[in-house]
Amino acid sequence: MKNVTIAIQRRGKLRAGSQQFLERKGVLPYIDDSVLRSSCEQSGSDILYLRDDDIPEYILRGVADYGIVGENVVYEKSANVTIVQRLGFGLCNLVIAVPNNSGITSVSELDGERIATSYPNILQRYLGKQGVRASIITIQGSVEIAPELNLADAVCDITQTGNTLKEHNLRPLEIILKSEAVLIKNEL
Amino acid sequence: MKTIIEPKILKGTRDFLPEEMAKRNYVMSTIKAVFERFGYDTIETPVIEYQETLLGKYGEEGAKLTYAFEDNGKRKIALRYDQTVPTTRVVAKYGNQLPMPFKRYQISRVWRADKPAKGRYREFYQCDVDIIGSDGILADVEIAKVISNVFTKLGLNNFQLRFNSRKLINAILDALDVAKDNQSFVIQRIDKLGKIGLEGVAKELQEVLNKSQIEEIKNILNITGTTAEKLQQLKKYDISEVQQFEKLCREFGVAEENLVFDISIARGLDYYTGIIYEVELPGIDIGSVCGGGRYEDLCGMFTRQEYSGVGVAFGFDRIVLAMEELGLLKQVGLNAQVLVTYFDDEIISSNLEIVNELQAANINTELYIEPAKLGKQFKYANAKNIPLVIVCGSDEIQNDEVTIKNMLTGKQKTVPRKQLATYITGLDI
Repeated sequence: MKNVTIAIQRRGKLRAGSQQFLERKGVLPYIDDSVLRSSCEQSGSDILYLRDDDIPEYILRGVADYGIVGENVVYEKSANVTIVQRLGFGLCNLVIAVPNNSGITSVSELDGERIATSYPNILQRYLGKQGVRASIITIQGSVEIAPELNLADAVCDITQTGNTLKEHNLRPLEIILKSEAVLIKNEL
Repeated sequence: MKTIIEPKILKGTRDFLPEEMAKRNYVMSTIKAVFERFGYDTIETPVIEYQETLLGKYGEEGAKLTYAFEDNGKRKIALRYDQTVPTTRVVAKYGNQLPMPFKRYQISRVWRADKPAKGRYREFYQCDVDIIGSDGILADVEIAKVISNVFTKLGLNNFQLRFNSRKLINAILDALDVAKDNQSFVIQRIDKLGKIGLEGVAKELQEVLNKSQIEEIKNILNITGTTAEKLQQLKKYDISEVQQFEKLCREFGVAEENLVFDISIARGLDYYTGIIYEVELPGIDIGSVCGGGRYEDLCGMFTRQEYSGVGVAFGFDRIVLAMEELGLLKQVGLNAQVLVTYFDDEIISSNLEIVNELQAANINTELYIEPAKLGKQFKYANAKNIPLVIVCGSDEIQNDEVTIKNMLTGKQKTVPRKQLATYITGLDI
């Protein structure tokens, strides 16, 4: 029988949790995070170690059968994958935040404002539902400094503790997604 | 003194002003995009043709309704009456050069010397899609899928694609011993079921059928249920074509709730020979919005070679009406997305620069064409429903900023000058 291929994050916040989840299922990944691919003979699985953003793509293209990834990534990619199981780790929130000194106190006041984010699709859908039209600026990282550089009036970013927001004098306005790690597979 | 001519138009013809044209263009380009997605190409034929090409192809009624005249060189000319006859002429003339099967769509104006009435025009658009040169059932199925995609793309999701088979109707009439000469009459009466009801049809059929024949036709017209259940009740006739058509349509993704087998659909015209289609929009009382079917030997009047074809015509005007009624065209605006204001000759160069920059970013941008008070320019933007107005005066230039006014909310936003194009792109208007 063909091995089952499972894609997990190579380096990052989900790696340890993904590793433990697989171990509990009898699949033994390599510990060394320089390895990109390994096999676990006793469980009949191949494990791929990827950038988490890329995992849905591997699933969609049928190269991996299962993947472990944050819901935020699944929804951002609008990936046609099936969530098999919620895994209870990698908890985080996708939050809209504004500078402490901003006059903005509600999502509706974001109309016409600039919002920097690495999650333009989730944000666009959320704002669309609220009937708010903002200018979305897509950047890949260091989103929290966008307001102080006058690149944006607000941010939409992932937080776990809220500390990064505080450090950059940002105050949360609204949680638009509560996310955790999920096991996904191809929809078909 | 200057003579003034009254700016009138002929009855049954129409002027379309920009707002209406924007809506019509939106509907037309949506339909076209679906045709093209399936690989259909378009052709164009002359508006004027020889009378002999067009006359005699549409029956007596059609001949009366064809605009025919003599031109300055005494040639007998006729105006395009439909798109089918010119297309068949094209196929007959260029058959060898055309890829076969020939998948063509055509959206153009036709003219009828008709008495204008509500919904009946002397000049109107036809919108056809056909596959010519194949008698395979998959061609019939593809046309059904094109219909399904068109209405879904237009947001008319609850369309009813009703279909039937001329072969099946003929098989039933043969089995009932209806004389061949009378079958066309019977089919045309059955077609009136929606208008005159079952008893009305039965009454008219008395002219050529006996009591038991009429009883059996009434029974057949009365069958209900899902397509499978209806076919079960007709299985003593040859239902194979309908079954295969339905199965392939479903496999191709035409939703079950949109596809209805309707034994009463006959489509009066004589030249249909296989699957026939008719589309209705439940809840909107404008009749059929699309119809057509399979025809054999379509080009027979122009060539000895036989071409079987299948195709439908979309009722363009009715579709636009229906969408308007359902509020599906509210969002369609005029072309300009941004108006750049112009109130100071000193800074015109920076205004022109903004126009260039936004147009380069694929944003439809116009510059107010003469210096005027801001209020007047805002009024102009409102009249054209332009959502965003750029204000960049000397203050803004000094601060290296620009102000964008949202005409819908009235809110103004000032951003660094260099962020203007990305700001507007990010708004996704």
